[in-house]
Amino acid sequence: MPGEIVVIGGGPAGLAAAAAASDAGCRQVLLIERDRELGGILNQCVHDGFGNLIFGGSMTGPEYAHRFIREVRQRPAIAVLTGTMVLSLARDRRLTYVNRDGVREIQPGAVILAMGCRERSRFQAFIPGYRPAGVYTAGTAQRLINMEGVMPGENAVILGSGDVGLIMARRLTLEGANVLGVFEIAPRPGGLTRNVVQCLDDFQIPLFLEHTVTFIHGKKRLTGVSVAPLDRAGKPDLTRERFIACDTLILSVGLIPENELSRQAGLILDPVSRGPVVDQEMSCSVPGIYAGGNVVHVHDLVDYVSHTARLAGRGAQRFLEGRTPAGRVIMQAGENVSYIIPQSITLPVSETVDLYLRVREARRSVHLKITHQGNVLKQKIERIVRPPEMIHLALEPALLTGLSDGHTVSITVSGGEPA
Amino acid sequence: MSKQLKDLVLELFTENDLEQYGLAVSEADGLLRLAGTVPTWELVVRAGQLAGSLPGVRSVVNEIGATSVEPAPYKAPPGDPSVIGTADIVIIGAGVVGTAIARELARYKLDIVLVEKDSDVGCGASRANNGMVHSGIVQEPNSLRSKLNVRGNAMFEELCRELDVPFKRCGLIGLVFKEEELILLDLVKARAEADGIPVEVISRERALAMEPALSPETKGAFLAPSTAMTSPYKLTIAYAENAVTNGVRLFLNTEVTAMEEKDGRVCKVITSRGSFNTRFLINAAGIYADRIAAMTGEPEFTLHPRKGELLIFDREKTNDHAAMATGLLAIGLDPHTKGGGTMFTMDGNPEWGPTAQETADREDTAVTAAGINRIIEKFNPLLPGYDPNQSLINFFAGIRAATYTEDFHIAPSSRLKGLINVAGIQSPGLVAAPAIAAMVLDLLRQEGLNMDEKEQYEPRRFAPARFKELPVDEQNSLIRSNPAYGHIICRCEQVTEAEITAALHRPVPALTLDAVKRRTRAGMGRCQGSFCLPRVLLIMSRELGIPLAQLTKSGLGSPLFSRQTKEAPPYAKEDWFHAR
Repeated sequence: MPGEIVVIGGGPAGLAAAAAASDAGCRQVLLIERDRELGGILNQCVHDGFGNLIFGGSMTGPEYAHRFIREVRQRPAIAVLTGTMVLSLARDRRLTYVNRDGVREIQPGAVILAMGCRERSRFQAFIPGYRPAGVYTAGTAQRLINMEGVMPGENAVILGSGDVGLIMARRLTLEGANVLGVFEIAPRPGGLTRNVVQCLDDFQIPLFLEHTVTFIHGKKRLTGVSVAPLDRAGKPDLTRERFIACDTLILSVGLIPENELSRQAGLILDPVSRGPVVDQEMSCSVPGIYAGGNVVHVHDLVDYVSHTARLAGRGAQRFLEGRTPAGRVIMQAGENVSYIIPQSITLPVSETVDLYLRVREARRSVHLKITHQGNVLKQKIERIVRPPEMIHLALEPALLTGLSDGHTVSITVSGGEPA
Repeated sequence: MSKQLKDLVLELFTENDLEQYGLAVSEADGLLRLAGTVPTWELVVRAGQLAGSLPGVRSVVNEIGATSVEPAPYKAPPGDPSVIGTADIVIIGAGVVGTAIARELARYKLDIVLVEKDSDVGCGASRANNGMVHSGIVQEPNSLRSKLNVRGNAMFEELCRELDVPFKRCGLIGLVFKEEELILLDLVKARAEADGIPVEVISRERALAMEPALSPETKGAFLAPSTAMTSPYKLTIAYAENAVTNGVRLFLNTEVTAMEEKDGRVCKVITSRGSFNTRFLINAAGIYADRIAAMTGEPEFTLHPRKGELLIFDREKTNDHAAMATGLLAIGLDPHTKGGGTMFTMDGNPEWGPTAQETADREDTAVTAAGINRIIEKFNPLLPGYDPNQSLINFFAGIRAATYTEDFHIAPSSRLKGLINVAGIQSPGLVAAPAIAAMVLDLLRQEGLNMDEKEQYEPRRFAPARFKELPVDEQNSLIRSNPAYGHIICRCEQVTEAEITAALHRPVPALTLDAVKRRTRAGMGRCQGSFCLPRVLLIMSRELGIPLAQLTKSGLGSPLFSRQTKEAPPYAKEDWFHAR
């Protein structure tokens, strides 16, 4: 259907995108969710801390999801298919999905990717050893405890101090397990500072920075892990390796955007963010395919996920109405910038452009500068920047009036001192 | 000690050592027996291999200990002598060899029992190898390994057709990277032809045309067109299913603890779950076959575990990878394996390895950092455009059950009539399996087993439906017949609820998470089960009637959970679709 927008994924991004597409005027939105209910990963996030930016108050994951599910249910233009999996997506937006009614092929006018992200496994983190029971990724462990009502184990070591790992340290403790320590390969925690304080410090769980798990022991069930600090070259120092007896290893070693469909559709992917490249309306490199939330890059806060997904919802509807691009400006990651979303800005610009970026290294008192051919478009001083925390910048249309097709805008985060 | 052996042993040890280590050698009837204590496991193995390489030595019992290795005496579980049944023949071990023998014997009017100590069939080397159906080019001429390899290779395609198991005759390319090694190609060809194996020497250009991702450093190559690939665990499962369909009784979680004899002949085998009266016993116990053989009271051979580590890569970015099986010429590189290579599994994942590492522990299936690095350093030069670090999704290790003569040991026991040892089945055990089974049947005939053909024998076995591989119209008709085919559980591999349910109710049912994974591929994709694991377990719990908290990864001793914290969710017992 040419007037139809299909949203793939009914988590925080898909819910927000569907509602926004409807609000922007789309009369036919199809929201496809593989699980038996809407809400995505939020359903297993029983801790609070969601919604501070959007709703001005902290709520749990299911509460946050519920707000958006209600929005979706209230909009008659949105049809929802749960228990439905998208099997393929082509460049021309032809997609097939399957559910209990069969396999169907459709070709909507626009598609919004909102599949979220997946967890890196023990193998992708190159952790050698046996393959016993008792090794879980943090998100899986979270689902098992919070939704299925089973404990992965009683004595746990956590590798990786990403947010999910930190939250699971607290969750396991509250459920009566002993968390023997969180080991982080980097010199700084991978998650938000508030999570380090609330999930580790408050429970006196030790955090070992510049450490990693070097071996997984146990032929049937995990019996322990070897851990070692890193040497100066950043490799595990095996002369200082030690054994920790435990029955559970929880891995929080990174999240990667879910890319299967993005690849199939031939979208250009950003090697750093690992998701599709997008413009300010969340349009991907193939016309009519939009993306929002963690499928684009892994966000720190769900509020931003909802926000970018809303942009995608509005953008997709604008595409259906006939958008006429007048050129493209490339966003270039300069000094101490790891990546920028969006990777490009499509001209003309009529609304404020939201930029999200991550730094490569943590620094204090830095000078953030947005320039075009040496001219400073915008600048500000940031007190502290850290890789886990996204930096948000607003670029007003007036700042971009001098730009035309092929121009490059570069962003740098310079000066300051190591944090 | 024989003069010849002593000369060899002195290459390894000084006269002083011999005394200090208390090395003792005795020989009777071609069986060499070694005893003593040396400092390292490496020396234990080298002493055994020296003994095994002597002319006229049929078998080696190596009882040398290593001070560096903590002795782990074999502890058989308590046996249950109460007789639970009678069988014409009991087969010990449901690996590819034991199941192949069971399936071939099932053609005859025989009461066959197959016992397996693990929770599934094919839990040893049969699941942890690279799946290559070797041509036989690198086997020692005139060895049993060589003969059964060539014979097995010729039988394999038809076998896989009968059992509905994936098979692809993709050939193997062997490469040389130095001009001075080009001569090796002709040597390989000459030797292979002597054994009746087709090999063609091909130009560098042809090799690169066939495999554009090959290193431009390639100087020349040979092509062994009869090399093929299969799925080793699917073959074992198929063998077992077909055997069970034809009346073989399979007992999982059943470990043999002893055997009894009467007038020099086996009369009873005792297991952890009861005993069988039987006059014929097949020892196909893999890495434990020497211990089973020694239950007669006298050891007949010793196995030394040799670990092989393998890496599995994601299916994406395979353009940078060779499209067919390729292997490096092993001559002069590694004496104990063809040196492994790079290949594709039958499911399309690049696979590199295996390594060959002697280990004292028969269950040392750990992959080490050194092993991973060795594989990448060894094989990346073949495919320099491929980045293994970006695509690794799994690794595993298997244990080769090698004898010290390094050949298969397939023979009636010299101690006990009615017992046939099928041991030392290291590579190329997978390809040889059908030929081994045929050989064992011949031995049984010679030993006096009466074999009358059944009127009804079903040689064919059909693989369960694989939703992902079907055309859309067939997918839709499956869904119409069972809507659970429309419910994807494993997103990476597109495995449906109906496929998982089916795996739990096949002739050899999956009882553990790993068993489901091997049968359906749920959890074998790039996320390695982080999405589907809870969902697969809920289906298992519902179908098998086992509470979630009691499910295991791989059977006894591998619980997935420590306890239940809440009541099972309401949907756990229901059909998910109808739940909302």
